Amino acid sequence: MAKIYPIGGGKGGVGKSFITASLGALIAKWGKKVVIIDLDLGASNLHTLLGMQSPNIGLNSFLDKTVQDLESAAVSTSIPNLFLISSSHCYMEIANLFYAHKVKIIEAIKKLPFDYVFLDLGPGTNFNMLDFFLTSEEGILICTPEPTSIENSFRFIKTIYYRKLKQMIKKHIFNSLQKDFSEDAVKPGTTPSDIIEIALKHDPEKEGHLRSQLSKFKFKFIFNQFRNNLDATLGNQFETICNRHFYSFFEFLGYVSFDGRIQDAIFSKTLYVHRYPHTQSAADLKNIAAKIT
Amino acid sequence: MDMKKFDELNYYEILKIPMNSSYFKIKQAYKDALSLYDQDSVPTYSLFTREERDEILKRINDAHSTLIDDNKRAAYDRMLVDSGQVEAPISFRTKQYQSSMRSSGSTMADKDRLQSKMKEKFSMESIQNLSKELFSKELLSGNDLKKFRKALGIDIMEIYSITKISISVLNAIEENRFDRLPPDIYLKNFLKSYAKILQLDPQKVVDGYFKTICLSHPADG
Ligand SMILES: Nc1ncnc2c1ncn2[C@@H]1O[C@H](COP(=O)(O)OP(=O)(O)OP(=O)(O)O)[C@@H](O)[C@H]1O
Ligand SMILES: [Mg+2]
Repeated sequence: MAKIYPIGGGKGGVGKSFITASLGALIAKWGKKVVIIDLDLGASNLHTLLGMQSPNIGLNSFLDKTVQDLESAAVSTSIPNLFLISSSHCYMEIANLFYAHKVKIIEAIKKLPFDYVFLDLGPGTNFNMLDFFLTSEEGILICTPEPTSIENSFRFIKTIYYRKLKQMIKKHIFNSLQKDFSEDAVKPGTTPSDIIEIALKHDPEKEGHLRSQLSKFKFKFIFNQFRNNLDATLGNQFETICNRHFYSFFEFLGYVSFDGRIQDAIFSKTLYVHRYPHTQSAADLKNIAAKIT
Repeated sequence: MDMKKFDELNYYEILKIPMNSSYFKIKQAYKDALSLYDQDSVPTYSLFTREERDEILKRINDAHSTLIDDNKRAAYDRMLVDSGQVEAPISFRTKQYQSSMRSSGSTMADKDRLQSKMKEKFSMESIQNLSKELFSKELLSGNDLKKFRKALGIDIMEIYSITKISISVLNAIEENRFDRLPPDIYLKNFLKSYAKILQLDPQKVVDGYFKTICLSHPADG
């Protein structure tokens, strides 16, 4: 079965798509069969990062049954072993994806016959995006070393917790509580802990169960666009803090250094890790790729 | 309950040290823990409310005051073992001890060496006068820090080896090259660590240095 890595992290422009394309390319080059799926519906750009024209088949072909399964929606790229499932012809924003379509995609992703599947998620924290992130327990969070981005990551983790809880409730684990979790019970200001508090008030015995579900997550995180004038202990500090204060397991995969040529490579439609294989940033990406394979 | 309660951790876990840590190691770990939960700390400033932070800092202080007192520490250790929170077979302890020695060896030695060197210097009258001259003003520039560091005979590499702040940043700080400085929240922490090595008041150094930065861009006030 494929190892699935959703790549997310709340904030836009932190480098999720760049890192997805780079890790996919590196791991494919090591002989593994890899597919990267562009789930930034409505704003897809993964094909551009791979230096390709927008493919004619993709997620849309799967949803409208032009192709019979999700695997057939994957197109090959200039890199042997690396495949792309594009969403460049999906004109619907991810937030508006039909529920049935979402479920269909998620079920199909879990069955893909590849060694590694990377999901490039868009910015924000809409429910559909969160559900894609929850396809696997080993999501990778991308953030940059700015305080605001770190703040965003904490918010992202809490939102994931809250979403997971809702999924569990949907699965009738908290049958008696369903009614308290109707959409209108969740007001905008409701925090994840409020939700959990409500759940526990009704059934304190479930606390252990909840915790054990949350402890199954093995989040990984990467600090992208790192500059060497920053505090090099940040990654480990963040790891310590998360492991201490959240219920899940967190692993710091490493920094990816800032390099202005990354943008140049994207503009000239070439894959950075191929064009500049010996830079610090490329070495950083290789280390990370090695850690997750 | 989306976040763990800090009081589920024992004092050693709070300070991230093995149970047989030395006095010096406890002191060091205490300082590290304080800076990790400081209100200016990049990874935690946005995670906690003020009350939560205060509670955590109080736990850290309790951990420290218990562990540096031999009697209190012995009683605490006994409680941990008796209540089954830790197992204490000898072999486990020795193993942890060795690995902790290895990992922290070099910076500790650097620090010790530096501390004994500075002790002598601080007793010299010329150094005391220089300190007064440089640090009695409200403004403080990188040149002042550099002058004082040199007078103490500390090499920039020594600062690097203890603080792990990159040389390019240390140079930018000392040479007032403000455009090359990291974001404020990092800079604050860097200045504090630098100040501690020179045995200066960290907050004063931060305030003085930031005033100098402000004056250099009158436009953005
Ligand atoms: N390590 C880096 N060094 C320099 N620039 C980078 C780095 N990583 C990403 N970038 C730049 O950031 C831009 C945004 O990256 P990318 O499109 O991967 O972000 P994203 O997180 O996928 O954004 P969105 O949330 O909008 O999908 C890229 O065009 C690239 O120029
Ligand atoms: Mg993207």
